[in-house]
Amino acid sequence: MDDPRRRVLIQALSAGLFSLAGGASAQSIFGTAPRKLPAGQSIFRFSGRVLVNNQEATLATPIKRGDTVETAPNGEVVFVVAEDAFILRGASRVTVEAPPASSGLQTLLRLTTGKLLSVFGKGRPTRIVTATSTIGIRGTGVYAETDPEQTYFCTCYGVADVTANNDASSRETVVATHHDRPLYILAKGKTGANIRRAPFINHTDQELMLIESLVGRTPPFVFPLEDYSAPRRDYQ
Amino acid sequence: MRRAGIINNRPSFPSGALPIAAALAGLLAGMSGFVRAADLFSPPLIRVEASYTADSNVNRASADEALRDYALGLRASASSAIAVSTRTRAIVQGFAGTERFHTYTGLSRNFIGVQGDYQYRASGEFGAPTWGAFVRTQADSYESTLRDGYRHSFGVNVLKPLTDRIQLFGALSRNITDGKSAVFDTRNVSLRGNADWSLSRWDVVYLGAEYRRGDIVSTAPLTPGRADIADAVTTVPDDAFNNPALFAYRFKASTWITTIGYNRAFSGGQSLDFSWRWIHSTPTDLRGLATASENTYTANQLSLAYLVRF
Repeated sequence: MDDPRRRVLIQALSAGLFSLAGGASAQSIFGTAPRKLPAGQSIFRFSGRVLVNNQEATLATPIKRGDTVETAPNGEVVFVVAEDAFILRGASRVTVEAPPASSGLQTLLRLTTGKLLSVFGKGRPTRIVTATSTIGIRGTGVYAETDPEQTYFCTCYGVADVTANNDASSRETVVATHHDRPLYILAKGKTGANIRRAPFINHTDQELMLIESLVGRTPPFVFPLEDYSAPRRDYQ
Repeated sequence: MRRAGIINNRPSFPSGALPIAAALAGLLAGMSGFVRAADLFSPPLIRVEASYTADSNVNRASADEALRDYALGLRASASSAIAVSTRTRAIVQGFAGTERFHTYTGLSRNFIGVQGDYQYRASGEFGAPTWGAFVRTQADSYESTLRDGYRHSFGVNVLKPLTDRIQLFGALSRNITDGKSAVFDTRNVSLRGNADWSLSRWDVVYLGAEYRRGDIVSTAPLTPGRADIADAVTTVPDDAFNNPALFAYRFKASTWITTIGYNRAFSGGQSLDFSWRWIHSTPTDLRGLATASENTYTANQLSLAYLVRF
């Protein structure tokens, strides 16, 4: 007698369900060696809850200019848009806008809230607008964290023109080779003093190498700042 | 009787350690100025680690003779990378610390040392391995005078990111200790591998395996078999254990060391680290009346550490 459970199992196996799920699961648990994403794939990995244009994201969800990506507090997504690659951390929202050709911009990013690590291809300039700052960059790697009070901004490498949104006299151009001058851009500081030095926080060179790989590039540095965080004490 | 955590005597380093300490202090003090002057050094990275370790066999003896104890440790290090070329760099690290045992206080020690690494990496590609050679030397000042001395290590290593979640590390090294007592003059060769597995941005599980071949030191009652296997025996009881029946003896052995650990990172460069290390050592050169059983030891070490880097 044909067991219906057996029939369902055979159907599932023939559909490749288990191998697919197992493969995806192993990929998620043990990770993947990053390489340039094939055309049509935007998301390298994600965890937690991630929305693209208010729809739950999957690995197959395309992300293109004009889209908005959001993460829940426990979420994170690593994705690519054209020649640019990003890590959007938890509790964040970014819109990758398509600026008009007349603007001369390649990409316009609006980081409404949260934390974003980005690398950009060489070409026309990109502009990042955060809650407290507007930053013009070209062919570089940057990290930003923003909330209504302040923005943390690190030019990991490349050139960035940083301006405070509420104070045009607070302006600074950063030329960096390796996280040389992280900044805080304040919303309500003294006129002319809304940009301050900041420490290097919350992003790593390994992450920069990872997202550069997804667009077929390597960062300009060879050695990461830090190699590990776990102790390696010798047995004595 | 001295108790844990009470350091009632000034740190005393072997005579040769003071120049090392002075050189280290000068190096660290002058480092930041050197950075600005030459722009060759990366900013110094400072790490501090406070740890608690429970050890099931501090005398490294057979199971029925094992003595257990726990120790509190504090270690600080400062390191800086020096760009040699686009693809090579040197890393200089100075470190110092203390380890305080609760019961067998003769095992408590202060230490200070330096390490130099020379590394090569072909590119900034994510998966490119980093090849390195290193040399390390440190001075140990125990409350057991027999153990006072120096520890040297040199070797080669490689670090390789395998995936975005797994990183591998391997090292081959030669380890040498030079103690006040000849029993603590040891030589061994070590081959080890580690895998870091990132469960998330904040959570890392790490696994390690190491094989060592060479000299080890046990402290146990002296028997004819132990006298036969020993390459050296202390002429007086081991002063770390306050027991006139226990003597330290050195012999050749192979040792397996496995480690499993979990590291939980927090913001601000802080992390908590829990690890379990299992050590199993067996003699390789049985002689005379020596038996494997009385010269084999197993130890388990559980460690909890708080780490912070600046």
